[in-house]
Amino acid sequence: MGSSRAPRGIRRRDLLTSTAAAFFVFGAEAALGRTVKGGLPWAPDSVVPPTPVSAVGWYFFTALEGAAVEAICDRLIPPDDGNPGGKQAGCAVFIDRQLIGSYGAAERFYMRPPFATGTPQQGTQTQFSPAEQYRRGLAALDRYCRDGLGGKGFAELPAAEQDKLLAAMEKGEAQFTGVNPREFFELLLQNAMEGFFADPLYGGNRDMAGWKLIGFPGARYDYRDYIGQHNKPFPLPPVALQGRPEWIGR
Amino acid sequence: MTMRRAVFGLIGAAAFAAPAFAQDLAYETIEKGRALVIAGDCVACHTPPGAKPFSGGRAVETPFGDILAPNLTPDRATGIGAWSDEEFVRALQQGVGRDGEHLFPALPYTAYTKVTRGDLVAMRAYLNTVEPVHNPVEPNQLPFPFNMRFLQFFWKALFFTPGEYQPNPQQPADWNRGAYLVEGLGHCASCHSAKNILGGDKAAMEGGTLQNWFAPNLTADRRVGLGAWSEDELIEYLKTGHTARSAASGPMAEVVEFQTSKMPDADLKAMAVYLKDIAAAPAVKATPLAADRADMQAGAALYADNCSACHVGKGEGVARLFPALAGSAVVQSDDAATLLRMVLQGSRSAATDAAPTAPAMPAFDWKLTDAQIAAVVTYARNSWGNAASAVGAGDVKTMRNALKN
Ligand code: HEC
Ligand code: HEC
Ligand code: HEC
Repeated sequence: MGSSRAPRGIRRRDLLTSTAAAFFVFGAEAALGRTVKGGLPWAPDSVVPPTPVSAVGWYFFTALEGAAVEAICDRLIPPDDGNPGGKQAGCAVFIDRQLIGSYGAAERFYMRPPFATGTPQQGTQTQFSPAEQYRRGLAALDRYCRDGLGGKGFAELPAAEQDKLLAAMEKGEAQFTGVNPREFFELLLQNAMEGFFADPLYGGNRDMAGWKLIGFPGARYDYRDYIGQHNKPFPLPPVALQGRPEWIGR
Repeated sequence: MTMRRAVFGLIGAAAFAAPAFAQDLAYETIEKGRALVIAGDCVACHTPPGAKPFSGGRAVETPFGDILAPNLTPDRATGIGAWSDEEFVRALQQGVGRDGEHLFPALPYTAYTKVTRGDLVAMRAYLNTVEPVHNPVEPNQLPFPFNMRFLQFFWKALFFTPGEYQPNPQQPADWNRGAYLVEGLGHCASCHSAKNILGGDKAAMEGGTLQNWFAPNLTADRRVGLGAWSEDELIEYLKTGHTARSAASGPMAEVVEFQTSKMPDADLKAMAVYLKDIAAAPAVKATPLAADRADMQAGAALYADNCSACHVGKGEGVARLFPALAGSAVVQSDDAATLLRMVLQGSRSAATDAAPTAPAMPAFDWKLTDAQIAAVVTYARNSWGNAASAVGAGDVKTMRNALKN
């Protein structure tokens, strides 16, 4: 026998009787109760898993851009007490891989004119895709550093000066040519956080560093065995889509 | 004159009465035949998915190649409409085709031989009433030399004992009815018995392999058989496809959907009575593997992260929704085929009128490596009171490749 079976299931007669009753009450002539069958579709080998990104090299950034984004991520999420910061956790790699994909190309956004300024609540109304915003923003940042801060790129500045510049961007006070520094800062902060907490499969959150830091248990969805154990820490370490070290190396 | 008229009248009445009487009889016979055809699950092999009932052409996979089940509708040219009852009975009781050729045991005549002639004639009567479909089928798709029908002569001499079921006078009526259905029409042994290298049955009902499934031991063995099942559980399983401990999947889901869920309760009870009385071979002593083995430890982590959400922390499952893995024969059988394919490919359980939801198990082939699957099934086979041999990454790889074909 082959293994393909016609799926069947769910009986809806009970549901339909009430509808049928309503028909009779209102005098419709052809209200026929019937059993409707047809289970949820199921087929073997129908999973389309996300492809893990490669951890080496840049796909979108130039080496200079990559170094700047790594430095920015490391100031937004600085390493401390042996915990990795944004750079070591792979946030820049995460952003790089996002920018070559549908996010970078703004595939999900409406990108046609008119481009009005809008209220802050309406979010960015930019005509530039995230990939273009990075390209332009990083160029403006680099020019700002080289022209005004002693000819060095952002990554080469001392940490204190990097922090000062980022703070100025956040307040909208840094004078970038052709780029809104506050909008660019917000984009960087948003993406750095995503990179720190997204599944490691996407290049950031390396070794689940972000999850370990905040005690997030990872890709689990059932806590029946623990839900009744009040005031006790959850005993299992975080798990990613691709597992955790205890699973035997891949 | 009056006299003659009276006789005439009588004859007239008889002439009218006779067909009506014959029709009643025919109706009863046909209804009986319909129920028996369900109990024999003839539709499963003789109907490809989506085709008209009994129109034939579905491939029955055997280790030697595919054999197509022929057209059983009353179409005279391509079905069995032109067959005599004798020819029909001979096919099922002797495995002999209309032209005297040997049939392949892909038609489970080794079991159907136990069906009484009266029952077979009723089945034939029912099959005569289904919609005729013109669909020529050439069953024999086997490669040389297996396609040589005369070789079946030697096979029969070795492995075939013809003969109708003989009731055991020591046993009550329901036991005998159950034996008749399980051994005969139900042909449960055709999947649940191990086959020797030539495809003959050996070690009756101790479990068998088919198409990358393992049909478990149905004897009273407590670890790998039905020893721990109650009669009521068995009845529920056969009627609904689901119990507190298990769910019918794959070929067994078909058996439940087409066959047992449509059988009368009394017959299911009789089958349960008989099944519960099949003695087990002396149990093999099995001790669980040590929990500190590397594969057991990895398996524990894999189980907690991938399986416990449905099958719950200690393998207890959720009644009628997620099968229990603790105490499961599918999990502990020596042959881990069903267990492995479940984890690799997932499966949808049987949908019946009584249990229409048909919960499905997700596939893990895309997510877990061979070594990881080996570890998690080894863990399931040796936790919560279970005990069985370890499964290696090589076994998983073999099954992974087999399922791709
Ligand atoms: C496991 C699958 C299977 C089941 C169940 C099954 N059959 Fe068949 N049947 C076959 C196959 C395969 C053949 C072809 C055998 C051959 O040609 O050697 C066949 C052949 C036949 C034939 C011979 C037809 C011909 O044209 O030569 C008859 C009659 C028949 N089956 C009746 C039945 C009836 C009645 C039932 C139910 C009681 C049944 N079968 C159940 C697989 C099955
Ligand atoms: C076409 C092959 C096939 C036939 C015929 C068949 N079975 Fe099965 N059966 C299987 C397979 C494969 C499994 C294992 C898959 C599963 O657990 O659902 C199974 C599982 C079972 C189980 C559950 C065992 C457990 O421990 O979970 C029972 C009970 C059972 N079969 C009874 C029967 C009975 C009774 C018949 C005859 C009416 C029968 N089977 C006919 C293939 C078959
Ligand atoms: C989303 C819920 C879900 C998850 C997660 C899940 N299963 Fe299942 N499992 C099911 C369902 C539903 C069935 C019944 C399906 C069927 O019988 O076709 C099942 C059936 C089984 C069976 C067959 C049991 C029997 O008696 O026939 C085994 C063995 C099994 N699962 C093992 C596992 C293992 C090992 C894992 C983890 C790698 C796992 N399952 C993860 C839902 C799940």
